[in-house]
Amino acid sequence: MSVNRLLRVGTVAVASLGVLALSACGSDPEPSGSSNPSSSGSTSASGGDCPKGTLNAEGSTAQKNAIEEVIAKYNEKCADVTVNYNPTGSGAGIKQFNASQVDFAGSDSALKTVATDGGETEAAAAAKRCQGSPALNLPMVIGPITVAYNVDGLDKLVLDGPTAAKIFQGTIKAWNDPAIAKLNAGAKLPSAPIAVFFRSDESGTTENFAKYLSAAGGGAWTGKPAKKWTGTGAGKEKSAGVAEGVKSTKNSITYVEWSYAIDNKLGIAQIDTGAGPVELTADSASKALAAAKPAGTGSDLALKLDYATKAPGAYPIILATYEIACSKGLSAEKTALVKSFLSYFASADGQGALTDLHYAPLPEELRTKVDAAIQSIS
Amino acid sequence: MTTTLAANRPAYDGKALDLTGKSGARAFRNTLATVLIVLCFLIALVPLLWILWTVVSKGYHLLLDANWWSQSQRGITVRRVGGGAYHAIMGTLIMSLLCALIAVPIAVMGAVYLVEYGKGTKAAKVVSFMIDILTGVPSIVAALFVYAVWITVLGFNRVGFAVSLALVLLMLPVVLRSTEEMLKLVPDELREAAYALGVPKWKTILKIVVPTAFGGIITGVMLGLARVMGETAPLLILVGYSKNINTNPFDGFMGALPTMINQDRTELALQPAADRVWAAALTLILLVLLLNILARTIARFSTIKSK
Repeated sequence: MSVNRLLRVGTVAVASLGVLALSACGSDPEPSGSSNPSSSGSTSASGGDCPKGTLNAEGSTAQKNAIEEVIAKYNEKCADVTVNYNPTGSGAGIKQFNASQVDFAGSDSALKTVATDGGETEAAAAAKRCQGSPALNLPMVIGPITVAYNVDGLDKLVLDGPTAAKIFQGTIKAWNDPAIAKLNAGAKLPSAPIAVFFRSDESGTTENFAKYLSAAGGGAWTGKPAKKWTGTGAGKEKSAGVAEGVKSTKNSITYVEWSYAIDNKLGIAQIDTGAGPVELTADSASKALAAAKPAGTGSDLALKLDYATKAPGAYPIILATYEIACSKGLSAEKTALVKSFLSYFASADGQGALTDLHYAPLPEELRTKVDAAIQSIS
Repeated sequence: MTTTLAANRPAYDGKALDLTGKSGARAFRNTLATVLIVLCFLIALVPLLWILWTVVSKGYHLLLDANWWSQSQRGITVRRVGGGAYHAIMGTLIMSLLCALIAVPIAVMGAVYLVEYGKGTKAAKVVSFMIDILTGVPSIVAALFVYAVWITVLGFNRVGFAVSLALVLLMLPVVLRSTEEMLKLVPDELREAAYALGVPKWKTILKIVVPTAFGGIITGVMLGLARVMGETAPLLILVGYSKNINTNPFDGFMGALPTMINQDRTELALQPAADRVWAAALTLILLVLLLNILARTIARFSTIKSK
């Protein structure tokens, strides 16, 4: 009995010691800066003050990679600020922001000013959360949406609005359809049926792509643009799902954010807006954004994108994601943190970091406006 | 199946004395049943081994790096290699231990009440019934309940402690039931002997009954902890994921292994992210395995001897 007791006590002691050891040892975070030490030289004091504290944010999955990169860069400059971003979706982000659970939100669309269910509008709820001051819609990350395909031997594919709309509507069913052949003279198109993949989850990407199809499709797209897909095809979950679907299925096509098309090595269609085929580049996407008009007034920078743009060299299918932050009403500490981080995000430095990740930087004119709006936060 | 088995038992036992003869058909059925059962066992084993093999083969190499155990993911994006799971391991341990701190006393005292005081009373039956219901509550329901109380009604923020509260609801029935079974195993003679010596009831429970069942109780606690550690729903709803180390369960977002897996789940096309997902999964499995082994060890060294 006493031996048993000894063993028993011993085991418990060892177990608790193990836990203690783990909790006590090495609480070092990653030394500030990226993992490769070669890039550690750039800790210049430019960009002003660095407050201390923690910022919590939540929202759009479309800007997850962008904001993570910017947070990492920002931490090289301001090591004492911790920024957490939870990519749970735009709707969830706005809800948590309005419930004061997070300090700012990321969203694929600006705060809605019209209530859909007769209740309080998103904008009104956000103003309540900001102690009566309106919340700002700050366009921050421009994510081009690609029409990505997987067809053997087809290195270059050109589509225009009506053809794309018909493919995704399901009225064009085969790759060698005359409409596609006409746009791709000389290309070897298989006679195989087109396998379309769409996002089965509710997504801002779907909504924006549908907006494009409806604006540029010349009436071929019959559905109303919504977060839920109304066209043809097979559903896959999230961007990773549709990208994986196209990657593993021959003769398939989908719409997906640029970075996913690149990471999965998918073919990316050029879009003919009427002014010739436009290849997707950071530059061509920025051009389309420059054509966008502001939908809001004053320091509210909600954008109205022109999906049917015919501006030469502009890639029309883009998704603007916003940061939603209080113009006033946060505690002084949080205000300083939000301002510091968002200013960096909107700086040329912060935006420059996004190009490598296949987002498009904000056009300079808009960038200065966003920056001015951030500086007005108090 | 079961009837065949039962009927065959004597035939199997008698196999050594095959002299009785004329059991060819029975022997055949016996073999058939044995083969079938072994086959079923192997089939049941396939997914388990498959999962283990996949996770281990894809995740082990990050675990060999000391950084994995001592660093967080601060400043590490899905495209970069490096960093570790320290923040997530800490978060998981803190939330689970906090949960155990609340759940274990309630569960043990509840079990003591059920076995020692309330036996046969209406109150005990009600409590017992409620525990049965609680056993069947899905984790998402527990999480939403805590969300409603903690955030909607009380107006607090999402924090690690809220997760602990939801986990308490899941851990409580497991520990209470196992403790109850253990206390029931304590021979009544021990209690009677104590009473006969004039020891009061509370002292008997404290010094005789609970120590005798101690090993079993600890085993139950460990198994309860293991069950609770892999829960994801409360983490998704009640706390934000953080890549940074946060050891304060009452303030701010907190990392945890299940949410760490969830965070990079959508980025599997990128190797660094995919590696981390597998490694985090393996870490979680190891953590649960460790608890189970610990539970077994304790159980082995401190079972109630019935001699």
